[in-house]
Amino acid sequence: MTTLTFPLSRIEGHAQVVIEEVAGQVLSANFQATELRGFEQFVQGVPAEDMPVIVPRICGVCATAHHVAAVKALEDAYGVTPPPLALKIRELLLLGQLIQNQATSLFIFTMPDRMGTDSLFDAVQGEDVARTNIALHALRVRKAGTDLISAAGGQFIHPVKAVVGGVSGGIAAETAESVRQGLSAALPVACDLFDVYWAMSLELRERIGTWGDDEPAYYLASTGASFPTYDSDILRLMNPDGIIRHSFPARDIRDNLTFQATDYSYADQTSYQGQVLRANSLARINIARVMGTPRADDYLARFREAFGFPAHAILLFDLCRGIELVYAIERAIEILEQPLDTGWTAIPHTPCDGDGYGLVEAPRGPLIHHYTIRNGLIARAEFVIPTVHNLLAIERALTVAARRYINSERVNLELERAVGRVVRAFDPCIACATH
Amino acid sequence: MKKFAVLQLSSCAGCEVALLNSEDWIDRYRLAYMPLVISSHDLPEVDVLLVSGSVRSEEDLYHLRKSVRKAKEIVAVGTCAISGGVAHLGDRDEVRELFLADSERRHVPRMLPKSHPVDAVVAIDRYLPGCPPTPELFMALLDEDSDFKPGSSVCQECGRRKDREIRPQHLTGFMKGSVQPDLCLVNQGYLCIGTSTRGGCRALCTRPGHPCVGCRGPSNAFIEKESAAWFVSIRKVFTSMTDIPAEEIDAALHSPQYAMFLFQFSDYDEQGTFHPKEKVL
Repeated sequence: MTTLTFPLSRIEGHAQVVIEEVAGQVLSANFQATELRGFEQFVQGVPAEDMPVIVPRICGVCATAHHVAAVKALEDAYGVTPPPLALKIRELLLLGQLIQNQATSLFIFTMPDRMGTDSLFDAVQGEDVARTNIALHALRVRKAGTDLISAAGGQFIHPVKAVVGGVSGGIAAETAESVRQGLSAALPVACDLFDVYWAMSLELRERIGTWGDDEPAYYLASTGASFPTYDSDILRLMNPDGIIRHSFPARDIRDNLTFQATDYSYADQTSYQGQVLRANSLARINIARVMGTPRADDYLARFREAFGFPAHAILLFDLCRGIELVYAIERAIEILEQPLDTGWTAIPHTPCDGDGYGLVEAPRGPLIHHYTIRNGLIARAEFVIPTVHNLLAIERALTVAARRYINSERVNLELERAVGRVVRAFDPCIACATH
Repeated sequence: MKKFAVLQLSSCAGCEVALLNSEDWIDRYRLAYMPLVISSHDLPEVDVLLVSGSVRSEEDLYHLRKSVRKAKEIVAVGTCAISGGVAHLGDRDEVRELFLADSERRHVPRMLPKSHPVDAVVAIDRYLPGCPPTPELFMALLDEDSDFKPGSSVCQECGRRKDREIRPQHLTGFMKGSVQPDLCLVNQGYLCIGTSTRGGCRALCTRPGHPCVGCRGPSNAFIEKESAAWFVSIRKVFTSMTDIPAEEIDAALHSPQYAMFLFQFSDYDEQGTFHPKEKVL
């Protein structure tokens, strides 16, 4: 038996892929998350109202999603509904998170695979002027998302402005205007980059002869058919044939999915009635009929025409991120054109003991925080992380890739690159998945 | 061109994301190793190695010991690397038992009995505290910029107006909603510890209305002292500016959202050594 170990890079966190084969027969392909910090344990006994400051530290990439999910879990336990202005500002926060993440995944994590380099920064510092420009533009688009998080969330990595009952303050007119201008300037740049990325992806497909074919899967997302809102309240499960099978609230997650621990990874895996699930961009785009902004809808139409409905190929996750990047910029511009500094930003509340669920659609899929509060302290915390829903799908896709590149004669060296492409298409977050 | 590398131990990657939020280093320094953004699995010889995250697993220990040999200068970046940060919340005895019971797996790196700051394992040349440090601080670090003169405390950088006439009777909870835009957060009854927290972050939390939780650690006035000196100072600030009972302040300061940053004091350190102020940016 031969064991092939592939350390992973250009993903968030520490993980590796281990493939075992005998005489060209692929026995297994395991995705191993190799870190653990233990948030579910170490928040025990923490005052419930400290959670929105502590939990962003689960992950510096997904911090905004954790911040908002924590506040929503407390609001659910306390029975509080935030005012409309606060909801707008939270939507901006989650859009900022999406812009920053999709730009990072598209340009910093996966574009080097299409350029044939080790990193985007090689392209910046390289001799090729066209590539240098692409890389610098990519970083500028990403920065527009970061600026939006800072304006809506206060701190730039671990936001502080969402509070139980709303947000701690609005966005001043001049700040909103400057962020809006930044996003308006970033929009055409993002579209051009996405076009370049799409073309590079076609070239990649030509070279390797596949979009990453794998069996169809079930899809899980908490965004709906039109106008995706990431401040979600319900999960949706789609059949492999494109029909919505179930809708359920966050508190029913364990009734609908099976959670399983493994011996080779610090992350759990989920499945649906023994079947493989997928979350993240492709799940949302398969569920969407209309994005609701002009350029994003153009890209959605182009995507449907090229790949049909529902789409299942692995590398299409990456293209879906581009559609969402464009949508998030357009939608944020729309919101920033409205006044965001007048009206109630939060309503009063009385803390109480109980059980609360907070759901948001994070860039990687539906994120759920579940807290049990006793005497004002966290008695139990549960974090249901979107990456966990993709882990079986990643392993199945890795098995497909391994079979493609391993035969009884030899292991094709393309396998290492294929492993990287497959894993990055799912954009897993290991700090979150193991928490 | 100066070469630098980033070694990420057990952490959230927030420090790395903060570095990526600055474009200023890109054409001036060569980033030679950083698995988050570069596919290269070997750390080459570099001038500066930034280490983020705490030493939590055997793998962290291995990577840290192996990597420091390749660098001329080692910088501990972020609260986790300097003091364990949020991971220290897991070192309470009752929690550690639960945690270790849950971490038994067969084919993964083993967890160490507790989380360690990086200077418990290797010698550190400079420290860059913050959860995470801002892009401006990263640049000041890489540039070794002697013109970078941060305020001595977060309070100095904040610019909110203090009002002698407004004396709150009790602490306001963090989650109590709207914050008045220009008035000092202490005047509004928030437990803001920006008066004794190291400046340099440009008060990025307090200006939009969240009290400082001290992520940059103690200012130079306290950094070479025990945490008791810091507690006394905060109590004094609240006695002079508010009518909030001292016991209420003391109790709130032990809340985990402060505790996770308080570990930056020398008396929480395993060796009981403080961080000399000239080494801390």
